[in-house]
Amino acid sequence: MEIEGYNFPEGLYYEKNHFWARLEGDLVVMGMNDYAQLLSGEIVYVGLPPLGKKLKQGKNFTKMESGKWLGKVYAVVSGELVEVNEELEENAKLINDDPFGKGWMFKIKPDNLDELENLMTDPDEIAEWLKAEIAEHGVAS
Amino acid sequence: MNTMHEFIDIVGEDNFSDKIEDRIPYSYDASINVYRPDALIWPETAEQISQIVTIANQKGVPIIPRGAGTSLSGGVIAIEGGIVIDVSKMDKIIEIKIEDRYATVQPGVICDNLNKELSRYNFIFPPDPASSSVATIGGNVATNAGGIKGAKYGTTRDYVLGLEVVIPTGEIMHTGAHTMKCVSGYDLPKLFTGSEGTLGVITEVTLKINPIPLHAMTAMATFGCLEDAGHAISETMTKSNLIPSVMEILDKVTLTSIRENTSLEFPECEAMLLTETDGYTWQEVEAQMMVILEIFKKNNPLAIKTAKEEKERMELWEARKTAYATLSRISSGVLDDVTVPISKITDLLTGIQEISQRHGLVIGTYGHAGDGNLHPQILYDSYNPEQVKKMEMVESDLFHLAISLKGTLTGEHGIGLSKADYMGLEHDKVEIEVMKKIKKALDPNNIMNPGKMALHF
Amino acid sequence: MSEPLELSKKYQHMVTQCSRCGFCRAVCPIFDITKNWATNAGGKMVLIKEIIDGKIEPSEGIVKSLLRCTTCMNCTTNCPSGVDPPEVIRATRKDMVNLGYDNMFKAMSDAIAKTGNIYGEEEKYDWGHKNERASYILFVGCVGTYREEESVEETINLLDILGVKFTMIDEVCCSGVLEDVGYQAHEELARHNINEFHRTGAKALITTCPYCYRVFKNHPFYKELNLELKHITQFLAEHDFKVKTDKKVTYHDPCDLGRHEGIYEEPRQIIRKIAPNFVEPERTREHAMCCGAGGGFRGSSPKESITIARTRLRKIMEETGAEILLTECPSCLHNFRNAKLRKWNIEIYNITEFIGKLYKEMDVRENVAA
Repeated sequence: MEIEGYNFPEGLYYEKNHFWARLEGDLVVMGMNDYAQLLSGEIVYVGLPPLGKKLKQGKNFTKMESGKWLGKVYAVVSGELVEVNEELEENAKLINDDPFGKGWMFKIKPDNLDELENLMTDPDEIAEWLKAEIAEHGVAS
Repeated sequence: MNTMHEFIDIVGEDNFSDKIEDRIPYSYDASINVYRPDALIWPETAEQISQIVTIANQKGVPIIPRGAGTSLSGGVIAIEGGIVIDVSKMDKIIEIKIEDRYATVQPGVICDNLNKELSRYNFIFPPDPASSSVATIGGNVATNAGGIKGAKYGTTRDYVLGLEVVIPTGEIMHTGAHTMKCVSGYDLPKLFTGSEGTLGVITEVTLKINPIPLHAMTAMATFGCLEDAGHAISETMTKSNLIPSVMEILDKVTLTSIRENTSLEFPECEAMLLTETDGYTWQEVEAQMMVILEIFKKNNPLAIKTAKEEKERMELWEARKTAYATLSRISSGVLDDVTVPISKITDLLTGIQEISQRHGLVIGTYGHAGDGNLHPQILYDSYNPEQVKKMEMVESDLFHLAISLKGTLTGEHGIGLSKADYMGLEHDKVEIEVMKKIKKALDPNNIMNPGKMALHF
Repeated sequence: MSEPLELSKKYQHMVTQCSRCGFCRAVCPIFDITKNWATNAGGKMVLIKEIIDGKIEPSEGIVKSLLRCTTCMNCTTNCPSGVDPPEVIRATRKDMVNLGYDNMFKAMSDAIAKTGNIYGEEEKYDWGHKNERASYILFVGCVGTYREEESVEETINLLDILGVKFTMIDEVCCSGVLEDVGYQAHEELARHNINEFHRTGAKALITTCPYCYRVFKNHPFYKELNLELKHITQFLAEHDFKVKTDKKVTYHDPCDLGRHEGIYEEPRQIIRKIAPNFVEPERTREHAMCCGAGGGFRGSSPKESITIARTRLRKIMEETGAEILLTECPSCLHNFRNAKLRKWNIEIYNITEFIGKLYKEMDVRENVAA
C-alpha cells in the first residue's frame, strides 16, 4: 500500500525507527523502509555483526551509513541474529533499490513472537506516525 | 537506434562516456597533438570490441584504440573524431607458460606488472621503454616499443609470437603461434606489430619471454666532447666482439636538468654514456665490461664509474628513465626519436647540436646510442608563436638530417600524426602505395585510427 | 571581487610543465579503480590547462570531475616533471566556487558553521575529561568523535593508563577540509578552539587526527596557537609500553601524516616496541597507497572511496599476510572498517587503540590470575 506517497507493503510490521519486520517461517526478517532509504540517499555501508549476537527489541545493534548520514539500526524484535544479507557488503545500495525484497538486512530467531504486537500494522496508525516524521525530517525523494 | 546507445548496450553505462570532462583529457597524449574524441568506451572483452567495431564500420565511426596514452607521436589522438577504445580494464595476465617460454596477456597489462609477475620465475619480457611503469603491452605492440635494453635484446616485434586482433570489419582474428618459430602463412603478427592501431584493435598478445641473466654490471663514463662519446659507442658496438645489453647516452643539456632537479650527482661534461653487460657468471660479465671500458679509455673519458650493487645500478637508471619528464620542468618540449646507422651516431649528435645553435632553441639529447636511436627533446615556449614556428623548423631539419644519414624518422615512437607529413621523405612512392593497399584491404571504410601515418585513401 | 580563475592562473606554468608522461597513473587510488584518465592527475592537468587557456568553459560536470581527487599527493611524489597536482586542483576548486559553482560541500560548510562538526550532528558529543591542571590538551576531531568513538575511547583510556596529565576541551571542527574542496575554513571556529586551548593553561596540544594536526600547524587561522603541537604518534614515540603482541602486524601510512607531514618514523617506533613481528606493505611510507578518504572524496564519492579502501586492504593482506593492520588516522580507520569483508580475518585498529586493548587484556589476565 502507499502511505503519503511512500511504499509500505501490506503484511509487514513497521517500527518507529523506520525498520520493517516480516515473519518468514519461524524467523523474523528485517529491513529499512522506503521513506528512510529515500531520505538517507545511497546507502554505502551496513555493519554486519557476527551471527549469534543477542538482540533486544528497540535497542540498536549496528550502524549504517549513506554519504551524508550515519544511522543506528534497531532490532525489531528480541532474539538471536541468525543471518545477515551478505550481498550488502559490496552492494549496500540494494537497500535503496529494493528495500523490502533484495535489500533485506537481517534475520532474527525471535525470543517471543508476541513482541510483534508492539509494531505497527494499521494503515491509519502508520499514516499518523509517518506524517509526524515527514514534518520533522522533511519530504524524501 | 542512436549509435551511442548501441555502444552503451554493449558495454553498459559505466563503461561509456561522452561527457566533456572525460573527453578533454582523452584529447591528449604525450605529443603536442590535440583533438577531441566524441566518446570513450572501456570494454572488458574482445567480444565487446568486436561488436563495437562492427557497428562502427557499418556507420563510418572512427575507432581509436588506446592503452596508457603515453604515445609520443599522436598515435591515440582522434584527429577525425570518433570513439576512443581504452583497453585499460583488460588487464589480466592470462597465462604464463615457462615450459614453453611464453606469456599470454590482455592488451591493458602494464609492462612492469608483467615483468613483476615473470620475475617470480626468473623470467623477463626484455623491451623496457622508459614508460614501462604505466605503458601497456597493447600499446607496446602497436608501436613496436623499444627501450633501454634494445641494443642487445631488440624490440617488441622480436618477442611477439601471436596476437588476437579485432580487425576493422569487426571480426576477431587469431594469428601467430605458441612456438618459438613459425613460418606458416604470412607473418601477420609482425605486420600488426608497429601498425599503430591502424589495422585493428589488439585484444590479446602472446609474448616470448627470456630467462633473466643472473648477473649484470653497469658503468658510467663521461666525455669532454661529443665526438669522443660517439666514437666510443660505435667502436663498442662493432669492434669489441661483444654486444653490451645497454648503451645509452645523455648530453650536457639533459644532465644539467637532471642535476638541478634530482638528488643525483653527475660531473660536468659534454656527454655521459651508460652501459651494461649481463651474463650467467660474474667472470663473463666483468670480462665483457673490461673490454668496453678499455674502448672508453681510448676515447678520452673524463671519468668512469662502475656499479655492481642493485641499488647503485638502479640510481643510474633512474636518471635515464626520467630524462624526458625532468627536461619538461624547463619548458614544453617535443620529443623525437630519429635513428641512424650505428656508424653515423657521431654525425647525428653533432648535427643536432648544429641545428640547435642555428635556430636558437635548446635541445636535450639522450637515448639508445647503441642502436643509433637518439631522443632529441626540443624545448620551446608553447605560448610563443615564434618559438612554435622555430620548433617546427628544427623538427624538419632533424628529420632531413636523419634521412640524409641513411636513417629513419622514427626508431620506436611511431609516425602517428607528428611525423606523417614526412613519410615521403623516407619512403618511396611504391612502398607507400603498398602500405595504402594493405590499409585499404583490411579497413575499406577507413575507420580504424584514421589519419595516421599519412595513409589516406 | 577576485578575478575569474585567479588562483588557477597562478599555476599556469605548472600545468604546462606536465609532460603527460602518465607516471601518475601508476600511483593514483582513483585511477586504480576507474581506469579513466580523467580521474587521474595528468588528465586533470590538461583539463585545468584548457580552463586557464580559455579553451573550455567551466560546467557542472567539470566541477564534479575536479572533486574526484583525494589530494593524497602520490602523484606529486611520483611526478618527474615537478608538478603538484593536488595543489593545482585545490586552487581550481576554489576558482569554480568563486565563479558560482557551489558544490556539495557548501552544505558541509553550512553544517560546520551551524553545529561545529562536519557531519551536521546536532547532538554535540561531550567527551568530558576536563582537568584543571593538565600539561597537555587532547583534541580528537569530528571523524573520531562521530564515526569511530570506540577507537577514541581506547586512546583516551591508554593515555590514562600511561598517566598522561591531559585535558579535553569543548571542541569544534578544525574546518580545514573546506580549504581542500573549494571553500574556506571558519575563522570563528578556530578562535573558539584557540580560546578553549588557552583557557586550559596547558602548554602542549596533542591531536589524534592527522588532518587536524595539519590545520593547527599550517593554517593562518591558527597562527595564534602558541602551543607545542604533536600528533599522538609523535607524543608517544618515546614512551615505553608494558604490553606486546607476537601477532603479525603491518602499518598503513595515512597520507595526511606521511606524505603531507613527513611523519613516518614515530608510528613505526611505537609499533616496533609492541609488535616485534612487524612487516611493511609493499607500497609504504611515501609510496603508500591512499585509503580513499581524503580531499573530501569520502563525502563526494563514498562508494568509490570505500572501494579504494577495500582494494588497498586486499593488497595489504595479500602482500603481508598480517593478522593486524594498524594506522593512526580516524578517516583511514573508518574507511578500512567500512571496507573490510566479513570473510577477511584481519583486524584493524589505530595504534593507540590497539595498545589500549592490549593493556585491557593484560589487566584481565592479571585479574584472572590473581
